[in-house]
Amino acid sequence: MSEADARISDPAAPRSATEPIADIVLPHYVPGSTVALSDEERWPGLAPHDRDRLEAVLAHPAAPVWRHRVGHRLAADGVARARTELPADDWLPGHLAVARALPAYRALRGSDDAGLRELDDFPLISRRDLAADVAGFVPRDADLGRLVQGSSSGSTGAALLLPDDTEDVARTFWLVRRLLAGLGVDWQPDARRLALALVVHQRQAFTYASPIPGFAGDVVTDADAAGPHAPGAAAAGPGIMARLNLDARDWPVADRVAFLRAHDPQVISGNPSSLATLLEPDTAAAVAPLAIVSGALHLTAPLRAALEARFGVPVLDLYGLHETRPIAWRADDGPFRVLDTRVRVEVADDAGRMLAPDAEGATPRGELVVTAGSNPLLPLVRYRTGDHGRLVLRDGAPAIADLEGREHVDFVTADGAPINTVDLTQYLQDAGALAWSLTQRLDGSVLARIAGGDAPAAARRIHALLGVPVEVDAVPRPIDLGEGKPRRYLREG
Amino acid sequence: MTDRPDPRPAGGGLGDQPLRRWFDLRLDEVRVWDALAPGPSLDVVQTRLSSAPQAFLADAVSLVALAGDVLAGAPDHVRASAAAIAAEAQPDPASRQGAALALWLWASDELLEPFDPPLDARWAHSSIGALAFRLAPVAPPRRWLSDDDTREEAARLFLLWSGRLPAGEDVPTARARWERRDSLARDAALRELVADEEHRRRIQAALAEKRAAEAAARYSHE
Repeated sequence: MSEADARISDPAAPRSATEPIADIVLPHYVPGSTVALSDEERWPGLAPHDRDRLEAVLAHPAAPVWRHRVGHRLAADGVARARTELPADDWLPGHLAVARALPAYRALRGSDDAGLRELDDFPLISRRDLAADVAGFVPRDADLGRLVQGSSSGSTGAALLLPDDTEDVARTFWLVRRLLAGLGVDWQPDARRLALALVVHQRQAFTYASPIPGFAGDVVTDADAAGPHAPGAAAAGPGIMARLNLDARDWPVADRVAFLRAHDPQVISGNPSSLATLLEPDTAAAVAPLAIVSGALHLTAPLRAALEARFGVPVLDLYGLHETRPIAWRADDGPFRVLDTRVRVEVADDAGRMLAPDAEGATPRGELVVTAGSNPLLPLVRYRTGDHGRLVLRDGAPAIADLEGREHVDFVTADGAPINTVDLTQYLQDAGALAWSLTQRLDGSVLARIAGGDAPAAARRIHALLGVPVEVDAVPRPIDLGEGKPRRYLREG
Repeated sequence: MTDRPDPRPAGGGLGDQPLRRWFDLRLDEVRVWDALAPGPSLDVVQTRLSSAPQAFLADAVSLVALAGDVLAGAPDHVRASAAAIAAEAQPDPASRQGAALALWLWASDELLEPFDPPLDARWAHSSIGALAFRLAPVAPPRRWLSDDDTREEAARLFLLWSGRLPAGEDVPTARARWERRDSLARDAALRELVADEEHRRRIQAALAEKRAAEAAARYSHE
């Protein structure tokens, strides 16, 4: 067994008598089962001092079971490129030229490329197209040395394997850091703290720790000496990130609290249900983040407010799909601002017809269609996200209002009239619900599973709007609605 | 397309194939359309192709000797180029027959009757090279005699590389009709499709590799 393998602990050997043994261990979650690289390939040129720092995080007595060993894979030149944003001025023509040459479009473009000149010439594509022929959407001259496997589970159906680009993946870190800087967050490497905790809340999950490429001593400044978590001057060293599973069945709460207190992550990133777990008193008392980043799922206004109130820091809500990379962001409950990166958002109606913005830049509500040029291994043109919303202008730039996930459905009233679930979202948020899962049954009645807030009050308003029976199932935490991406709205039939 | 011999060596690329020799002649397939003069009718050329004597298609024919006889009155540099093409075409049956049929068309000018308007012997070598190395590898010359579409393709290619438009056609018309018949263009598209498939297999294999499966550290949820 190699040194790397030996450091990954065995789930069948519990560290304490009280820790539950995994009852079901999926093959991929067996520690080390996906290890294929050497550490030199994971972290090219990692200095001994930096390695010591990484090993200290990995070897902490309260550390979780590390189920994966994973790195950024970038050598110095790749790190430098990842720290540099791709120029986004007039990026679309070049992007369309790349897309036009994709094997997937061969039949459409004609012998002289006349078939696909402008954005409007490109057909809408969807997850189904990627599932059927993802390789056809990878440019013929792509640098496969930078290809790694990305997996997108989506809300329904089988996971989709996607080609991720190592530099693009690392570039996302620098994008998040820039967005936080715009919110006044001074995020500098501090070797005494974990730079980033990426938190999940699942029965089983990949857990790992890795230096963040380029986030190292050269950008260190003095830390805030007044803060209880940052006494003294910052020490030089690499920023380390760790992916942590907050599920108590996977990581005892006492260990979670001890580890977080010891490593005091500067920024905590996660999906809403895992961020909600941070609000548990012992856990909340152990951390003092500079900022919180939410992604993957709908962050409700009450949960944002609770996080802001508890930690007193900005909460960045990032909207994106694995296929497209980050699309838009907000730090309040207003519309999501479309990023100034290589991304363009349009809106289509149910028939797939594009809805042109009016003179004020606003569109009717429809499906969000994204043209994305961040990932050089997967240049997308007019990709149907399955998510719904409408375009508006915010501070003179495009933004997405009323964003609803790909589970978007209309509910119906007792009279059969359609009701947009955006209205229901409003009621639920007003009642302080942190998360919910509403199902309208065939007979029209609604089962409302609601985490947090005044569930009976929300149910009364839903009943008043729909005129159908509403059965309430109040649960204490968002995670109690289920792992992964529980549907917020489902209509049976 | 399946009944055509595949001019491509296994593993992609043209390698040392007849088609490679056509590209090696470095003739400009775009600019040639700017240099055309009115020529004889397509029917006349097709009829003459059909009436090619079996002697021209015989395995034993010496192309270099045949070219020397047929092009005796041509300029020196044309005869030299034609001789080089003939020598290269000799070992490959399809190219040999293609070159021989081109030589037959030039010979028919004297053996049957002159083309009207006349051809220009300064174009002889390029027309022989085109039939030997551009068409024969993707459409066997026996088919030029038996199949109407292929015969038309051969006649159009011969006229084009003889610097002539088919009688009654202007350049856009002739070009459009040629492109509809062009086996190589269609075969190039096929070649691109094959390259696309190779690319897809390469990507799928790369995605499935254990190295790729180890993924890369991520920093946010999408």
